[in-house]
Amino acid sequence: MLDLENIKNEALNAIKNADSKLLEELRIEYLSKKGKVQSLMAQMKDLSSEEKPKFGQLVNDLKSAISDAIDKKKQELESAQLNLKLESEKIDITLDSYNLKHGSMHPLTLVQKELEDIFIGMGYNVAEGPELESDLYNFTKANTPEGHPARDMQDTFYVDPTHLLRSQTTAIQMRVLENEANNLPIKVICPGKVYRRDDDDATHSHQFMQCEGLVIGENITVADLKGTLELMIRELFSQNASIRFRPSYFPFTEPSFEVDMTCHICHGKGCSTCKGTGWIEILGSGMVHPNVLEMAGIDSKKYTGFAFGAGIERIAMLKYGISDIRDLYTNDIRFLDGFKR
Amino acid sequence: MKLSLNWLSELIDISDLSVEQIVSKMVKCGFEVEAIDKLSDATNLVVGKVIECKDHPDSDHLHITKTDIGCEVLDIVCGAPNCRQGLKVIVAKVGAKLPGGEIKASTIRGQSSNGMLCSLKELGIDESLIPDDSTSINGIEELDDSFNVGETDILNKLGYEDTILDVSIYANRPDCLSMYSMAQEMGAILDKEVKLPDYEFQSNIGNKGNFKLESKSKNCPHFLAKVINDVTIKESPEWMKRHLRANGVKCINNLVDISNYVMLETGQPLHFYDLRSIPNKEITVRDDYEGPYVALDGIEYKIEKGDLIITSDNKPIGIAGIMGGDNTKILDDTKSIVIEAALFDHAQIRNTSNRLGLQTESAARFSKGLEPMSQHKAMDRAVHLLLELADAKTIEETVEYGKADYHPYEISETLTHLNSLIGKNYTMQEATDVIRRLGFQYRVEGDTFTSIIPSHRSTDLKISVDIDEEIIRLTDFDDLKSTLPLMPQTVGKLTNIQNIRRSIRNELSQLGFYDTVNYTLVSKKYIDETILNDNEAVELISPLSDARRYLRTSLMNSLLENLAYNLDHNNNNINLFEISKIYDSNGEQERLGILMQGSIVEHKLKHINIKTDFYVIKGIIMSLLSKLGFSSQRINILENNIDTTHFHPYQSAILMMDNQLLAIFGKLHPSFVKSLKLDDVYYGEVLLDVLANSKPSKIKAPVLNKYPSVSRDISLLLKEDIKVAEIIKTIKKVGSHLVSNVEAFDIYQGEHIEDGYKSISLNIVYEDPNKTLTSDDVNEIHDKILNELISTFNATQR
Repeated sequence: MLDLENIKNEALNAIKNADSKLLEELRIEYLSKKGKVQSLMAQMKDLSSEEKPKFGQLVNDLKSAISDAIDKKKQELESAQLNLKLESEKIDITLDSYNLKHGSMHPLTLVQKELEDIFIGMGYNVAEGPELESDLYNFTKANTPEGHPARDMQDTFYVDPTHLLRSQTTAIQMRVLENEANNLPIKVICPGKVYRRDDDDATHSHQFMQCEGLVIGENITVADLKGTLELMIRELFSQNASIRFRPSYFPFTEPSFEVDMTCHICHGKGCSTCKGTGWIEILGSGMVHPNVLEMAGIDSKKYTGFAFGAGIERIAMLKYGISDIRDLYTNDIRFLDGFKR
Repeated sequence: MKLSLNWLSELIDISDLSVEQIVSKMVKCGFEVEAIDKLSDATNLVVGKVIECKDHPDSDHLHITKTDIGCEVLDIVCGAPNCRQGLKVIVAKVGAKLPGGEIKASTIRGQSSNGMLCSLKELGIDESLIPDDSTSINGIEELDDSFNVGETDILNKLGYEDTILDVSIYANRPDCLSMYSMAQEMGAILDKEVKLPDYEFQSNIGNKGNFKLESKSKNCPHFLAKVINDVTIKESPEWMKRHLRANGVKCINNLVDISNYVMLETGQPLHFYDLRSIPNKEITVRDDYEGPYVALDGIEYKIEKGDLIITSDNKPIGIAGIMGGDNTKILDDTKSIVIEAALFDHAQIRNTSNRLGLQTESAARFSKGLEPMSQHKAMDRAVHLLLELADAKTIEETVEYGKADYHPYEISETLTHLNSLIGKNYTMQEATDVIRRLGFQYRVEGDTFTSIIPSHRSTDLKISVDIDEEIIRLTDFDDLKSTLPLMPQTVGKLTNIQNIRRSIRNELSQLGFYDTVNYTLVSKKYIDETILNDNEAVELISPLSDARRYLRTSLMNSLLENLAYNLDHNNNNINLFEISKIYDSNGEQERLGILMQGSIVEHKLKHINIKTDFYVIKGIIMSLLSKLGFSSQRINILENNIDTTHFHPYQSAILMMDNQLLAIFGKLHPSFVKSLKLDDVYYGEVLLDVLANSKPSKIKAPVLNKYPSVSRDISLLLKEDIKVAEIIKTIKKVGSHLVSNVEAFDIYQGEHIEDGYKSISLNIVYEDPNKTLTSDDVNEIHDKILNELISTFNATQR
């Protein structure tokens, strides 16, 4: 019995201070078939049949005590070794990361996408048309016949006597009206590039983008126009924004309105962006002129509708705080980088 | 339109309103006020008398004065040559604010100076409004005896105290380019009574004469002429001069001033000819004249066919509606005149005026259109004023070509329609109140109200919605409620091409590309170096500049310009794309341009720098197509045999999809990019219309194979010009459904390999969807493939 206790103490002591090589040697010394524990079994034959099972139990206990101690020590040693290895792998976490490149969408793309999504959500479709357009759609069908003074309002780029780079996305509306005259109601927006004879400077560009909208149906009112535009402005700028109408003139709408929105910078208190008025001019709109409907073959007694148009550059400039319109056409990646998210 | 509040106040009582109140009401009613100007902003002015004037000892031009301003005598140093003792002058006292700054007490070359003796220019008065004979042109203003020392009401007395609103007039309201129409408009806006002078039929006087009048152009349908044989030239009265000045019109003499004044009042441009220059007493309007002509401004203009020209005895005497002629103008000794009040076609006048670069007040008014009774109204007023201010005598009967008359018409609208269009509940009282304010006669029958349209509003009021607009415009509209259209529900969605654009933008921006937007209009250089376009470029008829003369025929040069710009600004590793239309004689197409330069991955500290090469841009385009649902089976990459001018002949390719040309891509030709001071640029251009017209494959869930796959390698020695794709194609053909993947993992040329040959190693993965392949199964098919490769490509196994 004493032997057992001695062997145990001796083994556990040895294990405590062992390294991994010694530990393996200890395992052989104590636990192998010819090891110290197994050889204790030889004493069994000298024991009485009552003592035999008891002794056997004690030897087994000894075996598992040593075995557990070895396993535990082994784990300890491994984990210490791993820690050493990990420590040797220490790096400077402040060094530059890999620059995983993200490009960006152009701010004009972002605004166009936002407008499209707002209106698609209300069941509108997105219509398009040619940029090299006939003056029939750009002007005549928009109630601006040849010689009409309003043609002067938009000095244009003609490529031949009857074709021009469209000066307004109204041209798309006129095509939609013609194509869908027998398929009413109409709910579309028409985004796209337009061109006018302006010298490029901080606020003018000979090429820019518009997004117009057109709704034709029965009993469409100015109040519907106001509600629709208010919703659009709130989605684009701020849920607290409101809008107001000022009478204006466009040949293809009657009545026509300029639309102002609450200044999104000062929320109507007055600041330098809104020149102290609390309002910012944001788009033009009106009720589709009966002449325009009739020219497209739509009964203007039965159907009414509204149209509106906003400059995408203007929205982008207000929304993102861009002060020079030319920045939108230079494609400097330092600028474009700001629109990553 | 310049609106003088002094003039307006003579026609409407606005004494109870501030300028701000007036402006705010105008804006609400659809008249934007661009600027509020005063003829002069000068303050702290007083009439003074120079009681002593001596030369400054240290200057050859300065004078030292003692100037009496009533309450005190000031020492003032003055540099004007006309400064002298006894002169009554305008003194700006210390503290006065002038356009040049605030007047401060100072010392000028040792002499103290406590104020300034002023010219009209120094008060901020525009030079064009100062009479030619004014002493202010070369010195200080000399006041006449009507001014008293100490008096401060100087600007008013001189006729320079007025507030001028610069009102922008929409194209549908050309009538508002006249004071009388504007006054009526203001009457409606402010709800005030308007007092207009009555001069109707004043020109219906005179004896029969023998003046002949004709128009040989349809663009001059109406012409009134009147001969007045005896007029007296003199200075215009002060009230008229004030109104002219306020409108920026220089005062000349009573005749010229009357013609300008009547135009401002009525909107109808008039012209007065010296009768001596029309000896045969005949005027003909023509549009077939060609040749040079010297106008009133002394400049020679090139007249073309179509331009309206006033002629007499077959010789031009004026450019109709734009400017009179030098040979027929009113002179200081003019005694007899012909008055012209005509209607010229607005579009023709605009064309001529734009072409000649001759923008006059007259041309501006004709270009925007006149109201039907305009000529008669102006002639009546002109005669009225000539009688009153120029002692007109020996007047002849008005001669008329064509006819102008106006029959007032009616526009009916119902309250129901008005309210259903607006979405508001106007009462009949509210609606008709607007009609009353506009000064129209009207009547009400049940739900209907009918307005009778006067001539000056007939140019824009045609149908009932025009009346609706007047009601909206002139009533408070801010309380309109917001509603949404009540319509059948529809599904809004993007079209195929719109979805394609969005996918491309999403994908490329995530792959590190910047979305760009460039100009459509480009220079000749851009269309000369075009790709994938053999058609002729479209040219503008009249471009703003040569740099913006043509519509671009491909996107490449715009993106190269962006690249050059970015490199110039030290931005490196540039990956850009653009989706845009391009144009040529065949119409428009939509394209995608992709440009890559520099590295795709770079980490300096770790010495990693992976440069873009052919396979990178190929990978980008292939991944884009796969993202859009076009599998590699439908795609064929072929050697570029269509453009080796802009592309590297051996590192570029064309991409065919379903046997249609879809894209060209690769390294740009070194000599081409060198000419742009660039190098190593990779570029691809994709025909998006082809993509939009191709059907993407449907999404179908892959069936996973339950049985294990077997992988075998193969190494071949074969001729170097055999393309890997051909080998893979052969393997797949022979192996059929049992080959699930083939990949080349090593290509070697050099030591131990004969010149002109290459060693290639491929990995083939075998799979059978129905069973586990045995070794024998694999051997059989693998050997078959090997034999086929050896015989087809004349290869040997390594």
